[in-house]
Amino acid sequence: MKTIIYTCPYVPAEWIAAHGLRASRLLLDRVDCGFPLAGAEGVCPYVRSFIGEVTRNKEAGGVVVTTVCDQMRRAFDVINRGCDLPTFLMNVPSTWQTLAAQKLYIDELNRLSRFLIRLGGTPPSKDTLATIMLDYDDARRSVRALRPYLSARRYAEAVAVLGRDGPSETVSTIATQPRADGIPLAIIGGPLMRHDFEVLDIVEQVGGRIVLDATETGERGMCAPFDRRALRSEPLMELADAYFSGIQDASRRPNSELYKWLKRELAGRAVRGIIFRRYLWCDMWHAELGRLRDWIDLPVLDIDSAGDNETERHRTSNRIRAFLEMLQ
Amino acid sequence: MSDTPERITLEQWDLRYERLQRAGMSEPGYGGPLSRHVQDGDRRLLKLRFDNSAAALRLWNFLLTEEDRLHQARVAGKKIVGAMKDLGTMPVMAYSFDNVVAFYPDGAWWIPCVMERSAGLLEIADSLGIDESFCPVRAMLGAFVTGAHFPIPDMLVCSVGATCDDFSAIAQRLNGLGYPIFWWEIPHRRRPEQDEAAVTLPGGFSAPKSQVEFVKSELERVKVALEELVGAELDEEKLSAGIQEANRVRKYLDELRNLVFTAERCPIPALEMLVAEMLAIHFCSDRRETIDVLKDLLDEVKVRIQAGHGVLETDAARIFWVNPVADLQVMNLLEDCGGRICGTEYLFTHALDTIPQDVPPLEALARMALADPMAGSSIDRAERICADICRFGAEAVLISRIPGASHCALEGRVIGEIVREKLDIPVLEIEMPPVTDSMQPTVRTRLEALVETVKARPRSKQMKGSNG
Repeated sequence: MKTIIYTCPYVPAEWIAAHGLRASRLLLDRVDCGFPLAGAEGVCPYVRSFIGEVTRNKEAGGVVVTTVCDQMRRAFDVINRGCDLPTFLMNVPSTWQTLAAQKLYIDELNRLSRFLIRLGGTPPSKDTLATIMLDYDDARRSVRALRPYLSARRYAEAVAVLGRDGPSETVSTIATQPRADGIPLAIIGGPLMRHDFEVLDIVEQVGGRIVLDATETGERGMCAPFDRRALRSEPLMELADAYFSGIQDASRRPNSELYKWLKRELAGRAVRGIIFRRYLWCDMWHAELGRLRDWIDLPVLDIDSAGDNETERHRTSNRIRAFLEMLQ
Repeated sequence: MSDTPERITLEQWDLRYERLQRAGMSEPGYGGPLSRHVQDGDRRLLKLRFDNSAAALRLWNFLLTEEDRLHQARVAGKKIVGAMKDLGTMPVMAYSFDNVVAFYPDGAWWIPCVMERSAGLLEIADSLGIDESFCPVRAMLGAFVTGAHFPIPDMLVCSVGATCDDFSAIAQRLNGLGYPIFWWEIPHRRRPEQDEAAVTLPGGFSAPKSQVEFVKSELERVKVALEELVGAELDEEKLSAGIQEANRVRKYLDELRNLVFTAERCPIPALEMLVAEMLAIHFCSDRRETIDVLKDLLDEVKVRIQAGHGVLETDAARIFWVNPVADLQVMNLLEDCGGRICGTEYLFTHALDTIPQDVPPLEALARMALADPMAGSSIDRAERICADICRFGAEAVLISRIPGASHCALEGRVIGEIVREKLDIPVLEIEMPPVTDSMQPTVRTRLEALVETVKARPRSKQMKGSNG
């Protein structure tokens, strides 16, 4: 079975799986891509890592990139010129309020379908798609339900494993009581890389607890639960709606829905402080920092990252420690 | 001072202005000596060198009085539309109304250069969390906050989708500060798939018909919003007339570019050509005057070419310039180093290409919007650049990197590689901040190296232009 790799949360794994292919959302790690084109000043570390991962990957049968981020859109050109892996660039509209934008997203899913079929996938029936959607929905529900019982790292890893391997893996815990220790914090931002999970550990080590992972690789990047009745009659429409309307991101124009989502989630989990995690050269998230600070009456700690070097790790650790001391 | 074409300082222009006045030069209402703009804070003018023609004087005065025109438009009861990011499409629609003036607040990116950072716009952007890791267009935020550079528009219309993240993020920040924005979408332009209906766009790119239809529907939304703002309908006839006028501007610019870039001796400096090209984007808030200003410039160029006159030596290295510079002085610097501009791609070729007039007007605008070089892949952009290099006979490419711009991080290398592969000519990429003073020795050295490289190569094939 061919594996289709991607990172963007707007790529529905169910759609790839329904074509008989394996959907694998990458959890990136190494920042140094070793690819000369991407070593240039100004390239976001996440994009650099993505280019490196894709160009090094010998297992994948295809890669899906989206237009959600401009540098990723440009990375598509670099990948196309630099490796032989079949590539697909999916248009994800920035606007979301119009029927035309929603239809464009569905049209792109249909175009993705043709790409997957060219790679050996089979056109899915409604029933096949619905069944796979139910499997994913159940798996996401299980993972979400475990959140209060897991450390932030384990929760983030569980979300990542679901993205990488699909619903086959089961996550369990021996804990019977929700965790109530530490100052409740949220982490907000774009995607995390594997080594960034250390930030979650540091928070716990110094007396905090991440109760809301609003990063792209965390809960914020999970689609909305499916409407199971709609899923049976029009599964593709339901899939598109749960992803396109259900995932709130800084890149949306306007991105007011992101703030509505944050308001609800931050209040619901009694968050007392926010760790704002962003990559150097990520304009979309960087620009939100000032707005977030204007908008919310909670302390916000800005943690920028240029990569995974040791100096940065110490700086981040010290800043989080100071932040938690202030919140004690 | 002679009438021989040359590049002169602001001080020299004052003397020349008096002479031209005594000789009976007629000027439009916004005319006057260039040095008066320094009193308004445009201090960069003191360091620039300008073409010495009356046509260039008119061009500069037209450019530097735009703020006054916008304020006058407001007083006259016209609606002011702030078009953002699409660089050329929206004003064609807006100026098709009788009572609308449109401009690009994005143009504020030149203010830190022209006013040599004295306006404090970048500092305001800093204070709003938009620091120097963003493109200099962040100056726009400061311009909105101070309200000192243009009247706050009655409506802001911003294209999103296949745009740079900097601008999109800055516009969202502006929106978050309480400025309502009408967002419309331009998707990433892709190549049509097999068996998919395709449309050829202005400039030669190709796009699926479905994408053109989508953009057309987005433009329809904008049109309805503008009609509500203005209180008048924009029918096909009016929009077609607007396109026709925009095409007049484009026709003059096309002829101007062709003559200037291919002449044996460069008849007009790079700086004036940059300003002239910029007029295509939103007509500097007066479409009719834009046409007259360009016609004047074109006449001057024709006279100079006919006489074999020019502002630079005939052996100047023929450089194709990619991306606009925030510091206007760099255009002077290239010429000081022995280069000349023979072809440009300032990110708005779609504002220069003729808009189709044989299809319904809204579809024509949709085709134009999709032809935006930023909307497609860097590979497409590189191919257009290669075609234009061949058209104008450029001998090298200079990619002017915009500091912090999301697209510049990766595309410069892609464009450079493709140009080298296809044309085997030198390519140099240099980052140009809004004010280059502190970096000027470095920039100069690199420009000189490029010019020397060009001159050291066999030049017989490329250097003679079609008008030589």
